Amino acid sequence: MPLKPPYPRWYEKNAHCEYHGGVSGHAIENCITFKRIIQRMRNRSWIYFNNSESPNIIQNPLSNHQENEENAITKKMGKKAKTIVSEVNSLLAWSKIRIPKLTKDPGMENKPRHDPNPDSTRPEEPELDLYTIPSYSSWFAWNDIHKTERQALKEFFEGSSISRTPKIYKEYRDFIIKKYREDPSRRLTFTEIRKSLIGDVTLLHKVFRFLETWGLINFVAPLKPHEGSESDDRVRVENGVPKGVRVVATPNSLRPLSAPVVKGKNSGDGVEESEAKLPPLASYSDVFGDLKKLHCGNCGDNCDSEYYEYKKDNFIVCIKCFKSGNYGEGISKDDFDLKDCSEKSATNGAVWTEEETLLLLDSVMKHWDDWDLVAQNVQTKSKLDCITKLIELPFGESLIDSAKGRGYSSSTSTNMIGIKPVCVTSSEHQEKIINEDQGYDYTNENEKNGDPENQEPPSKKKCTASISDADSSLIEQVARISTMVEPQITAAAAEAAVAMLSDEMLCPREIFYGDQIDLTNGPLSPTLRAHDIRESEIQERSSPSESQEIPLKNSDVPLPLRIRAAVATGLGAAAAHAKLLALQEEREIEHLVAIIIEAQLKKLQSKVKHCDDAELLMEKEYAAIEELKEHILGERINILRTTYNTGTSKLLEPSSVQSQTGNMS
Amino acid sequence: MKSPASASWKAPLKFRMPAAENLVPIRLDIEVDGQRYKDAFTWNPYDPDSEVVMFAKRTVKDLKLAPGFLPQIVQFIQSQLATFRSYAGQDMYVGDKIVPIKLDLRVDHTVIRDQFLWDLNNFDSDPEEFARTLCKDVGIEDPEVGPAIALAIREQLYEIAIQNVTSARENRINKKGRRAAEHFPISKPSGAALDLMKLFRSSVVRKRKEWDYYKPVLDLLSNEDVDALEAKEERSG
Repeated sequence: MPLKPPYPRWYEKNAHCEYHGGVSGHAIENCITFKRIIQRMRNRSWIYFNNSESPNIIQNPLSNHQENEENAITKKMGKKAKTIVSEVNSLLAWSKIRIPKLTKDPGMENKPRHDPNPDSTRPEEPELDLYTIPSYSSWFAWNDIHKTERQALKEFFEGSSISRTPKIYKEYRDFIIKKYREDPSRRLTFTEIRKSLIGDVTLLHKVFRFLETWGLINFVAPLKPHEGSESDDRVRVENGVPKGVRVVATPNSLRPLSAPVVKGKNSGDGVEESEAKLPPLASYSDVFGDLKKLHCGNCGDNCDSEYYEYKKDNFIVCIKCFKSGNYGEGISKDDFDLKDCSEKSATNGAVWTEEETLLLLDSVMKHWDDWDLVAQNVQTKSKLDCITKLIELPFGESLIDSAKGRGYSSSTSTNMIGIKPVCVTSSEHQEKIINEDQGYDYTNENEKNGDPENQEPPSKKKCTASISDADSSLIEQVARISTMVEPQITAAAAEAAVAMLSDEMLCPREIFYGDQIDLTNGPLSPTLRAHDIRESEIQERSSPSESQEIPLKNSDVPLPLRIRAAVATGLGAAAAHAKLLALQEEREIEHLVAIIIEAQLKKLQSKVKHCDDAELLMEKEYAAIEELKEHILGERINILRTTYNTGTSKLLEPSSVQSQTGNMS
Repeated sequence: MKSPASASWKAPLKFRMPAAENLVPIRLDIEVDGQRYKDAFTWNPYDPDSEVVMFAKRTVKDLKLAPGFLPQIVQFIQSQLATFRSYAGQDMYVGDKIVPIKLDLRVDHTVIRDQFLWDLNNFDSDPEEFARTLCKDVGIEDPEVGPAIALAIREQLYEIAIQNVTSARENRINKKGRRAAEHFPISKPSGAALDLMKLFRSSVVRKRKEWDYYKPVLDLLSNEDVDALEAKEERSG
């Protein structure tokens, strides 16, 4: 759509861009889209820019000459592209050249391509033909046969026949490519070239496909619209019988013969067969027969529930027609069988009795993936039914899954680390998480043909309440717990413990793994295990019990030694850990005592301070009292003085003196 | 049976179809009670014989043929298979042979004529694929044409292979049933052993005037033509 004013800044009314189909507004030299495309092609090495004198010729990359160095402006195409003059020139040159049609005879075309003077370094003339080929085909050269070709088309290079020589191959190849280049925009078909070439058509086709895959032909040309599964696109639903198979209706037929709508079941079947056992040839009525609603042959009604089937032929009549006798000539009533529709309904929900289920589980145990054998064992049920039933069973899927993991019996230790019968996090609070699902898988693996009857659906992670109290020692707790769970679990846990130990210390590793026995294979004796559990020790991080595993096979080290070594290891480990614990306890005690002492000191200090304060107060009071005392004394003296002074005059009066002296004495 | 001491620098092979898949072309043309059944297809000779019976039953049932067809179909198929198998044990001298294969057949509305070369030694060859490519390149829409072409190729290869078997038996096999499609009889493959020397000596590119002979020629018929041709066939066949 042409722009309307007001125009953008770059708009030039009189300029036209050939890339954009001649639209006005900009010139191709300024066309960013076009420049981007060129840049992309350069990035992918599809085209090259020549250097120097005849500027910016885009050279035929298929020619003999090696690629010249790229000397074009390497500035990134983008919004600033306008400003470079030489870039403009190069684009002009490109837009003029395009991809030309070949005018000369293909046979002669080779000569102008090659530089007649091989040692000159002059660039070639601008009238070269230009063809694009992908960069992964840049090995191609006209006068040579590359290794790629030799490998892909070995037949020509083995000298096996006079009809297959390198020379012949080269002729084929050159002819095909030239033929394509006569008009690169059209898609060259194999049929076009095989008429012109002598030779086996299959081999020719191989050459053709090789060239096409490598993009040496049909690279630019558009794909045919019906690429791909043409057979799917082309299947037409035909009315009536395919013509290759012709059946003429007989005059006696009751109704017009109608053939299956889907064609080709008969004619195509023989072709794609292999040595493997295939299902029997299926016909339309087999495949779709059940889906068809049953129609009465006469009146065309739906026969839903009951109908009459003609014994001698595939012909059904509904009840009405049967009663009224409308079934054509030559057929009598007796020839019909009453058939119930419900019979035909597919009994998909097969009923599984217990024995069958048991059989199924048994056979699944034995032949994990081979459903044919399983179906054979469970004779009354088909393969599909078996699989369906198994999936329906609550644990069925885990059985199927564990079938896959069957080979990995050595991974039990990794399995079992997930199991933590006792999780010692703190001394107070212990919970137990039992992963019984895994436990049952382990059961399957150890006891190869376990009795399926006893398998109950595993409850997933069960968190049982803490069954331990803080009072009893850890060992006792472990012993208790391990007697609660199945022996296999403890065994597995023991393995993990062993593994853990071995990781830490060299000695047990030597003992246990020194002769490279795979400890996971040995079946375990329960009694020994129980005994050992009581003597075992808990590791800090993982599983609780460590049992002395005694592999019954492939044992080089004598049994008593193993036992003793194992016990010694166990006890040693126990002792070491006990010491560590004790040390830790001591430190803690010290710490606590220090705290207590400090507290006491503080108390004392505060008391002392209190006393000091009290003393100060007392002293102050004492001082105050002293003062008061003096004051009072002073007053008394004053009073005496005054009375004395007044008293002498009255001495003459004997009473007062007497009273005073009486008072004074 | 050993091959006579002909000049061959290739060890004789066991008889088989000179194609990637060892399939037998089978043609049927049976008439029972006024019903006529014509068909042509490929069959895998390694299938158990029970498959033949099943196939015949299926065919009768699907096409609603008269029951009298069943034994006939079975018999015809089995006889053709047996013929094929009778050659199977014998040696086949192939040598270095490139044979011309000609197509001239009508499938419904499409008539196709073509000619090309086929290397009997090339056990990668696949008539079905060639037919597919041909239909695709020429733009044939009818899905029946491809298999018919492939079948025609196989039949010719089969015949040539039989002739290569160094037995004195004449080939009567495929002439038994009538040919469903119009079909010029194949020229005696005496020219089959094309002189490779002559052929490949000079340029491998054909002369231009020959190009038209070796390209497929396609004709689309109108309904009336088809009917006319079919009527003619029935009369003559």
